[in-house]
Amino acid sequence: MPEAVKVTVRGRVQGVGFRPFVYRISHEEGLAGTVQNNMDGVRIVWEGNGDAIEQALKRLRAEKPRLSRIDEVAINPAGLSGLSDFQIIDSDRSGKSELVIPVDSAVCDDCLREMRDPKNFRYRYPFINCTQCGPRYTIIEELPYDRVYTSMKGFRMCGKCAEEYNNPLNRRHHAQPIACDACGPHLTLLSPDGETLGEHEDALKGAVRTLEKGGIVAIKGIGGFHLACDAANPDAVARLRQRKGRPDKPLAIMAASVEVTQRVASLSDEEADVLQSPEAPIVLLEKKDSFSDVLPEALAPGVRTIGVMLPYAPLHHLLFDDGNYLFLVMTSANPSGLPILYQDERAVHYLNRIADQILTHNRPILHAIDDSVVRIGSHTPFFLRRSRGYVPDPISTERKVDGIAALGSQMKNTFALGRGSQIFVSPHLGDLAAVESMAHYEETLAHLTQWMGVDPRIIAIDRHPDYSTREIAERMDRQVIEVQHHHAHLVSCMEDNGLTGECLGLILDGTGYGEDGNVWGFEVLHGGASGYQRLAHLRYTPLPGGDRAVTEPWRNAAAMLISLLGEKGKGIAAQLFPNQGAALRVIERMVAMKLNAPLAGTCGRLFDAVSAMLGICKVSTYDGEAAILLSECIGSHGGKIEPYPYLVTDEKLIEIDFSPMLEQIADDRLNGLPVAQISLRFHETVAVACVRVIRKIYSRHPEFGKRVALSGGSLNNPYLAERLNEWLSASGFDVYTHHRIPCGDGGLCLGQLAVAAEMQSGK
Amino acid sequence: MERKVTLAHGDGGELAHKLIQQIFVSAFGNGNDARFDSAFLSLNSGEIAVTTDSFVVRPLFFPGGDIGKIAVSGTINDLAVAGAIPLYMTVGFIIEEGFPFADLRKIVRSLAEEAEKAGVRVVAGDTKVVEKGGADGVYINTTGVGLQRVSGAIDPSRIEAGDDIIISGTLGDHGIAILAARGELGLMTDLQSDCAPLNKMIHSVIEKGCDVKMMRDPTRGGVATTLVEIAEDFSSVLEIEEQSLPIRNEVRGACDILGFDPLYLANEGKVIMIVSHSDSEKVLDTLHRFPEGENAVVIGHVTGKGIGHLLLETPLGSKRRLHRLSGMMLPRIC
Ligand SMILES: [Fe+3]
Ligand SMILES: [Mg+2]
Ligand SMILES: [Zn+2]
Ligand SMILES: [Zn+2]
Repeated sequence: MPEAVKVTVRGRVQGVGFRPFVYRISHEEGLAGTVQNNMDGVRIVWEGNGDAIEQALKRLRAEKPRLSRIDEVAINPAGLSGLSDFQIIDSDRSGKSELVIPVDSAVCDDCLREMRDPKNFRYRYPFINCTQCGPRYTIIEELPYDRVYTSMKGFRMCGKCAEEYNNPLNRRHHAQPIACDACGPHLTLLSPDGETLGEHEDALKGAVRTLEKGGIVAIKGIGGFHLACDAANPDAVARLRQRKGRPDKPLAIMAASVEVTQRVASLSDEEADVLQSPEAPIVLLEKKDSFSDVLPEALAPGVRTIGVMLPYAPLHHLLFDDGNYLFLVMTSANPSGLPILYQDERAVHYLNRIADQILTHNRPILHAIDDSVVRIGSHTPFFLRRSRGYVPDPISTERKVDGIAALGSQMKNTFALGRGSQIFVSPHLGDLAAVESMAHYEETLAHLTQWMGVDPRIIAIDRHPDYSTREIAERMDRQVIEVQHHHAHLVSCMEDNGLTGECLGLILDGTGYGEDGNVWGFEVLHGGASGYQRLAHLRYTPLPGGDRAVTEPWRNAAAMLISLLGEKGKGIAAQLFPNQGAALRVIERMVAMKLNAPLAGTCGRLFDAVSAMLGICKVSTYDGEAAILLSECIGSHGGKIEPYPYLVTDEKLIEIDFSPMLEQIADDRLNGLPVAQISLRFHETVAVACVRVIRKIYSRHPEFGKRVALSGGSLNNPYLAERLNEWLSASGFDVYTHHRIPCGDGGLCLGQLAVAAEMQSGK
Repeated sequence: MERKVTLAHGDGGELAHKLIQQIFVSAFGNGNDARFDSAFLSLNSGEIAVTTDSFVVRPLFFPGGDIGKIAVSGTINDLAVAGAIPLYMTVGFIIEEGFPFADLRKIVRSLAEEAEKAGVRVVAGDTKVVEKGGADGVYINTTGVGLQRVSGAIDPSRIEAGDDIIISGTLGDHGIAILAARGELGLMTDLQSDCAPLNKMIHSVIEKGCDVKMMRDPTRGGVATTLVEIAEDFSSVLEIEEQSLPIRNEVRGACDILGFDPLYLANEGKVIMIVSHSDSEKVLDTLHRFPEGENAVVIGHVTGKGIGHLLLETPLGSKRRLHRLSGMMLPRIC
């Protein structure tokens, strides 16, 4: 007795070869019916033997394609219509918009094998792809994901490609970007002035030759342009740094393979897996001692890690197959402070003085996306930047977030959009200061809202009066909800872990606008999406010159010493910064007169100050440099470390005061103690103080419970994060950290969105 | 013993009369006007421009000027940038009890001198003395009366894309000179305030028939705030280039230490002009003939209409939107 069911599969099921997969298992189970993409996801109708249907449903989950993710399978009985075979039918554009935009994926092994097979008609074709791999998010114009709605629409399939595309049993069945050298996109090599130097194979050969000779080639990849050069060539690296105006910031490299990576970095199994995953992010790896035998230290000076990714576009593989280099610098080609470059005209304009050649192609990138950056902690991957390969996979939530947009932070910006019970976090958009970045932001926001079919009714923004997101919100002209920066960090971490209700939060951060108008960033909070209270914070010190004291940590250090230690502090500052005599006197006066010196109590600035005091980083050339170098200088360590002295007040709002520590750090420094040792002890002290304060708060308020969320940009510091985790756990606290989004401002929007959703539902 | 102003100097009696005679009338030298309760002014027919401003500068004396000089130039410049010829001024003093006569005389002299140089007559005045602590030294209010030169000569509604933005000289000299003169900051500089009446220079530009569409004096809030206001008032996109901004090394150095942006520092002797590109050369030539305009340059352009935005092009080629001066420069870097 035949039965009929209608199955709706939701999740990441479009653009991942789901329909051909369903076609195959339907055939194998002898089922008739149809499969179709629609706005809900994938809709299947099966008619046939009940056991076979049962079996097909099991296989649906068990054998799903490489890139797919199933969130939900809804099964409904259907009427028999006497179907005799199984068919893939055209997309139905009606239906509720709950479908997912597929993510970009690294080329798969099958495609690579074909690309390297001289007998295959796609031999050495740099745009080979299939249903299991290739560009997605970056080439989609409209949903549903069909070729006519992608940047492939201008390429007419040749007979061979069309045959594969239409053959339900072929692994390229409905692979939307399907192409070959005869019908698809091709490479072009340009001079910096935009003059064509070669096409197809010639373009590739020309670029390889330039890279081999130590030249700089801008390469159009999946999400935008990279600047590449031979990473083992110190002159090339120096030239790239000089032309890009990026003196010290670590550069990411692409290694030819996992084996090659092992020559310079130690690699755990998890790290190897993530490197080789379809998401293909940049993974921060611990350098081996032999690093400097192979690669110049100038790639990542002063840090123990190196960001490595593996070739992910077929083009990258060809560049390594042909070239006599094993590592390429692959840094995004955006001019400093501007969004990633992805349009050819702009690339030529900007790269003119930076690149020796531009290796581009005629498959337009419709949506730019940066490389993702992860670190594998002791347990799980940890996002420093969540972008290509992960975006725009939604994060599902228990909350009703429909119609809410959270605009994120000022730097390392991402925004979030709520639809139903899904939250879409945007690609990394970076620093919004430039008009071009704001325009890019507003474009991306417009695209995503349109794709999602959401028209935001409520806009959540940070309370900072000068963040660019405020201006964007004003233009959107919707109801605005302001969320305090560190409240958003707390809730972001809770949301990342699916925590509801209220919990304790330790937020260690750079800078965020506080409710009292001061700069916050070292906070113990208690609360949740519905609100929070502040229980402890770092004692305030002035930041003379505002942002100036952030980019030049020695100013902040001097002001901290002077304001905390008075005359003694002045003396210390004069000894630590002997070349700044005249400026120090002015800073002293600025502190005394409170002139252009906002008050701040932030973990980031504390780390900056100590970094400057130790002479590690007095002037920062990239965001977070002082704090990063301070934590990176800790060598191997073991045994018990005695923390420096510090003070914790007994007031209702606890104040943490590190003045005694700073005084001793200065002594240690001036007595010539090794900075690694001082830094280690400093880290230890900060962690100990935090744990002590949290225990103190718990003893006052056992009703707050033992859940502690750790969030904020300073938790990017692996040593600090590890210590806090360890000691809080040892004290019986349940510690929650981030694992789906970054702990820094790149994850802020998630918390903003949850707070706004809660306020909305409370009405 | 040093003579000081007392409360009795403000009571309208004998002492007050003496103060006015000795310090004010002698300085302004037009005693005739002062014999009536009001001054009688003759003006040719046409539109009159009137403006008023109060001055509360600290310190009262600084390199390049004093409160008297500012009180004249501030008001004259407000008339001049509106396209008027300043003719007359009234002056009101609020003096703190105990203020030294000598200083008062210095201020009044400087005020009179500047007015004379600018060709403006001080026709009425007033003094009040307040108790010690009721004011901080001296406050001055001036009101200026001018004749609108040619109506329609300056017409901001004609601002269009392609126009040049000209500044008559270096940015922020006054702001830093004042900060340095306060002595509290330990800033070492002998930088002079730019404080000066600009009416003659401005007239000379207009007389040449240059197509000036808009003028403003970038005082409090600096060049950035003034340009934001122009942009918003006349729905124009203004773009200035960081590299073209004329800034003295002393000002740059001080800003570097203090974390200030020269674009937001006060000027007391500068004019911003929006001129049609074809006349920009002629305007610059004219400005360069005056000592107050020797550093005049084009700092940017009008690039669009419809929205009111001020953009700054950085040396790296990116553009940043600038806003009005905000109370505190709160860090945004995370
Ligand atoms: Fe933050
Ligand atoms: Mg004025
Ligand atoms: Zn493939
Ligand atoms: Zn083809």
